[in-house]
Amino acid sequence: MSGILSVFNLNLLIATIRLSTPITLAALGATICERAGIVNIAMEGIMIIGSFFAAVTALATGNPWLGLLAGLLAGGIFSLIHAVATISLHLDHVVSGAVLNILAFGITRYLMVLFFGHPGTTDAIPLSLYRFQWAIPGLSKIPVLGPIFFNQTPIVYFSFILVIFFAFIMKKTKFGLHIRAAGEHPLALETIGVSVFKIRYLAVFISGLTSGLAGAYLSIENNVSFTEGMTNGRGFIALAANISGGWTPLGSFLSSLFFGFADALQVRFQIIKLVNVPSEIFIIFPYVATVIVVAGLVRKSRSPKALGNDFMIEKERD
Amino acid sequence: MKRNLKSFLILSLVLVLVLSMVLFSCKKKEEPEAEETAAPVKVGMATDVGGLGDKSFNDGAYNGLLLGKERLGIVPTVVESKQQTDYVPNLSGLAEDGHKLVFAVGFLMADALLEAAKNNPDAYFAGIDIFVDPATAPKNVMGILYKEEESGYLAGVLAGLMTKKYASASPKLNDKNVVGVVLGMFIPPVEKFEVGFYQGVKAVNPDCQVISVTTGSFTDQAKGKEAALAMIENGADIIFHAAGLTGLGAINAAKEKGVFAIGVDVDQNPVAPDTVLTSAVKGIVNSTYLTIEAMMQDRFEGGTTKTFGINEDSTGIAPFHQFDSMIPQEVKDIINQTIADMKAGKIKIATTRAEAGMK
Repeated sequence: MSGILSVFNLNLLIATIRLSTPITLAALGATICERAGIVNIAMEGIMIIGSFFAAVTALATGNPWLGLLAGLLAGGIFSLIHAVATISLHLDHVVSGAVLNILAFGITRYLMVLFFGHPGTTDAIPLSLYRFQWAIPGLSKIPVLGPIFFNQTPIVYFSFILVIFFAFIMKKTKFGLHIRAAGEHPLALETIGVSVFKIRYLAVFISGLTSGLAGAYLSIENNVSFTEGMTNGRGFIALAANISGGWTPLGSFLSSLFFGFADALQVRFQIIKLVNVPSEIFIIFPYVATVIVVAGLVRKSRSPKALGNDFMIEKERD
Repeated sequence: MKRNLKSFLILSLVLVLVLSMVLFSCKKKEEPEAEETAAPVKVGMATDVGGLGDKSFNDGAYNGLLLGKERLGIVPTVVESKQQTDYVPNLSGLAEDGHKLVFAVGFLMADALLEAAKNNPDAYFAGIDIFVDPATAPKNVMGILYKEEESGYLAGVLAGLMTKKYASASPKLNDKNVVGVVLGMFIPPVEKFEVGFYQGVKAVNPDCQVISVTTGSFTDQAKGKEAALAMIENGADIIFHAAGLTGLGAINAAKEKGVFAIGVDVDQNPVAPDTVLTSAVKGIVNSTYLTIEAMMQDRFEGGTTKTFGINEDSTGIAPFHQFDSMIPQEVKDIINQTIADMKAGKIKIATTRAEAGMK
């Protein structure tokens, strides 16, 4: 038991960021999307699409930055299916999201066979974004905080910037107000002359971009190849992080950090053999911790009023 | 009403799309018929959900089939399983399709294999990584197991020697006496690799600390990487993995941090030539081929489980490639001696954590 304190060190916090980044990004997307009134359970599928296209592009061009761009855009474009289905065609949001998740795994498997001749995993990309780790001069010298926040890899920096950016947008800008209105009282928004359709489309697209970025993080920054199913449920954890974070960018970020922390902790508990129990107990620890946090915090947070509600303006026809 | 119709149409369109993709990926890959023989023997295999391209046992079995095609003139067929409910239909389908021998690949297909064998008494079935109980199993099915612990043991001997006594051989090795093992799901073949590795390390380096982390997945690279990074933080300089695709993340972590990795199942040196010291291999190609050959010569050992080990050339470690000159001759001598002792049956290796005295 004496070893337990040795686990709580700087490396644990650095690992927390490493593990929470893909969840943070997807959770941010979920927040924007759901605040606009569209339920999004498709982050898992969008992430896998993003990670696939990021890896394929980085492989084909040798340039991980193009891979990043491809992952981002692929996620955005793929999410438009969800937008069309739920906003234009008024399909149930959960049904559409579930279909998207299944579709994403089918598409990536199909394209793996098409591009590489076999499913499974791609070859290693020649250059990963991890190589662009950058210590911000000055800031990275701050004790504890420096190595955690200011000596990071590109997509991790993006995730920090996006948290602040979205927090600002949602709170302080007109566009943020419109997004919130689309999720709380869409009719009111429409009556002041703002198109609910447009706002919701944009919100879904943004969630696609961030989830695509989350996928790219997995395949071309944290690792060097794409593997089928490499998201392993992180999209769903992101959904939980968004909910326990009270549908706010900052809350989503903190919840994601919590999950990353729990996950980093369980790996280290296994190493010091904290308790002699089957390893499955350790593996489920982050999930159980998340469920408890969600159950504990979710009572305090309130979902957007019009979340999941269909919005339709019947236009006069002549 | 119109709206419902529209969404119905969209939904069915998407459904058709998904289904066609599933069908495509399950599509049989039929090799062109051999020309010279009148009625070539057809041999089929059904992969588990990992499918072809896993660079591990599914690919290994397939290569065994290809070897059979080349040397014995059989016609191979592969069916890929998308999900666990595909196992029985895929196996039975191959038998009904006139395949004389059908392979089921993977521990998870055990029940499906027995059911398919009972339903199709005219065909032979063989299961890779599957135990077939002679007392209850039908006579047309055999199990193929491997002594993973032997491969793990040899890798462990190498790791145990290099991490401490011969640490000066490479700048990748530190002065700490720690090695790590990253595991996928904790299933028998994985456990045997781990336990064998542990005993191999301890045999040559009793004080060495062997740390292991179970990730619970065979496809989660990020988890594999995290496990390896945490081990490296704790001083590990050689990371062995028995974690399928999850292990690719572990190899990547070793590469980033400048330590060694040991691959699994097949020679994984090509994954990262400057990092993968060797691999604990499992000769699935060879054993698959030998099983086909036995069947062709009417020696099929139905109703039993055959265990392939070092004497069948089915376990061992891969070549050292670019590290061949780095590894001291003494280490190679010890490994060769271990192999000789193993072949002579002088080394007893436990196959479970409990037997090996691991916590």
